[in-house]
Amino acid sequence: MNIYYKKWFFPLIGLAFILFLTVILIPFVVGVFYSFTAWKGTFFFKNNALTYNPFSAIVGFDNYIAAINNEKFCNAFLYTIKFTVIAVIVINIVALVFALILTKINQGAGIFRTVFFMPNLLGGLALGFIWKFIFEIIFSKVFFGPDGLIAIDALTNMTQGNFKPLLALVILVVWQMAGYMMLIYITGLNNIPTDLYEAAKIDGASNFQQFKHITLPMLAPAFTIVFFLTLASCFKLLDQNIALTNGAFDTRLLALQILRTPSDTSPPNYGQAQAQAVIFFVLIAIVTLTQVILTKRKEVEM
Amino acid sequence: MPSKNNFGKIVRYIVLIIMSLYTLSPLALLILNSFKSQVEIDSSPTNFPTTWNFKYLISAMKQINFLQSFFITLIITIISVTIITLISSMAAWAMVRCKTKLSFVLFLMFVSAMLIPFQSVMFPLIHLADILNLKNIPGLIIMYSGFGLSLSVFLYHGFIKSIPKSIEEAAIIDGANIFQLFWHILFPLLKPITITVIILNSMWIWNDYLLPFLVLGNSSTKTLTLELYFAKMQSSQFGSPWELIFPAVLVSIIPIIVIFLLLQKHFVKGISAGAIKE
Repeated sequence: MNIYYKKWFFPLIGLAFILFLTVILIPFVVGVFYSFTAWKGTFFFKNNALTYNPFSAIVGFDNYIAAINNEKFCNAFLYTIKFTVIAVIVINIVALVFALILTKINQGAGIFRTVFFMPNLLGGLALGFIWKFIFEIIFSKVFFGPDGLIAIDALTNMTQGNFKPLLALVILVVWQMAGYMMLIYITGLNNIPTDLYEAAKIDGASNFQQFKHITLPMLAPAFTIVFFLTLASCFKLLDQNIALTNGAFDTRLLALQILRTPSDTSPPNYGQAQAQAVIFFVLIAIVTLTQVILTKRKEVEM
Repeated sequence: MPSKNNFGKIVRYIVLIIMSLYTLSPLALLILNSFKSQVEIDSSPTNFPTTWNFKYLISAMKQINFLQSFFITLIITIISVTIITLISSMAAWAMVRCKTKLSFVLFLMFVSAMLIPFQSVMFPLIHLADILNLKNIPGLIIMYSGFGLSLSVFLYHGFIKSIPKSIEEAAIIDGANIFQLFWHILFPLLKPITITVIILNSMWIWNDYLLPFLVLGNSSTKTLTLELYFAKMQSSQFGSPWELIFPAVLVSIIPIIVIFLLLQKHFVKGISAGAIKE
């Protein structure tokens, strides 16, 4: 039978492979190569000479050095890390707490699950526009402004300044993603055999001990997935960033920084943008791989 | 201790109801303000509209060319998702059943591409599309089909591994050809994971902003999200005309909300199943 499948291997995989090659692999390899050239978009520019041959415009690590010395890129780098750390922690806590509550109730769990999941259906841009209104009008005037319900200065004008938009983004992505992650935690919680808890009760374990010694370790596979998904999507966040501040007040996340780098200079510096994109790839690859290996190891120890 | 249990139950429901209201409030705000004039939005953003005036919805639909952009988005989503579903299930099937080194290497390649962020390929990709004259809707469909592959191949691969080979072998002995084998024997068995693949891919393709922005830009044929973006950008020059933005956002999200409410069981199941397989 193996021979039969071998005969059909290439016809079956061919289309997928060609698509993968043209859309991802070739652009990726070309992109890494172009990050070492003086790429300006439609042409290359080296030593005050215009050329169309990338091989005569190789500049070594110049683009990488320029990227590291680019203040905007460094700001975006730190901003992305800060945002991701805060957002991943908050999303996970909120999602886990609601998953725990929802698995404890009998009636109406389905309705609550649907409601909490709903924000995840919508695009970041549409949601970003709604939340921009909430932060600028509802929060700043109706709720927390000087004439509002309670005056809390920290929650007004959250789309201005450098640090407030970071919190605004966290509020937005928690609202959007926690419901999705909650679904994964619920599936994880439902997969824990109930006799474990029964045995623990007979042994006299308290609720907290049960949570610490049964629930948390048994949730390890769910943690792996949720951390992977939240890390990846927070690192790559773009639409919400555009909708809320569009990068004003140095609030660019890395995805937006890379997108806007060519339009920061004239002629557009695609070479440096590409160098930033390669650094971005390395960062994401290292962080997500480390995370998966670390959390998988916890799963294995179980 | 029934009284203590009841107390805990009540607290849980109160917390859940408050959080549901919090989750739904931005959407409620969106609906309320889609029927108000700019003046009314400014003066009473949280109240019910004094009159349910549909004129803002209608003018927003004109502004974002709703019918055209809706059908463009629909066609792009349907064709891309169909291509992704068919070719990634075929490819995954071939890679599971054919245990060669090459097949393993190809599988690793597909999966490791999940780590490549779109930002790392977008500039060369658009450059390539420019050369091939593919900065248009067919080009967009090809690109979505490519970007959807990694996750879908991964999900199908995991699922097909758990399907015994013997069913297919029996069909081969009965004289089924490769297409019958795939379409009548294997594909129906893949239904649960196919639902997951369809939902996950439809959601991001329908809502995606960046790829249509780079490929189509401010052309005469735009997707819904792109129309929304340009409507906001153009109107922002005159302050923030929320009387346009709110109804535009509302009409652009209604289709996906309707589909979700019709198919919500599949959504919840499909999403959780997909996650656990990962």
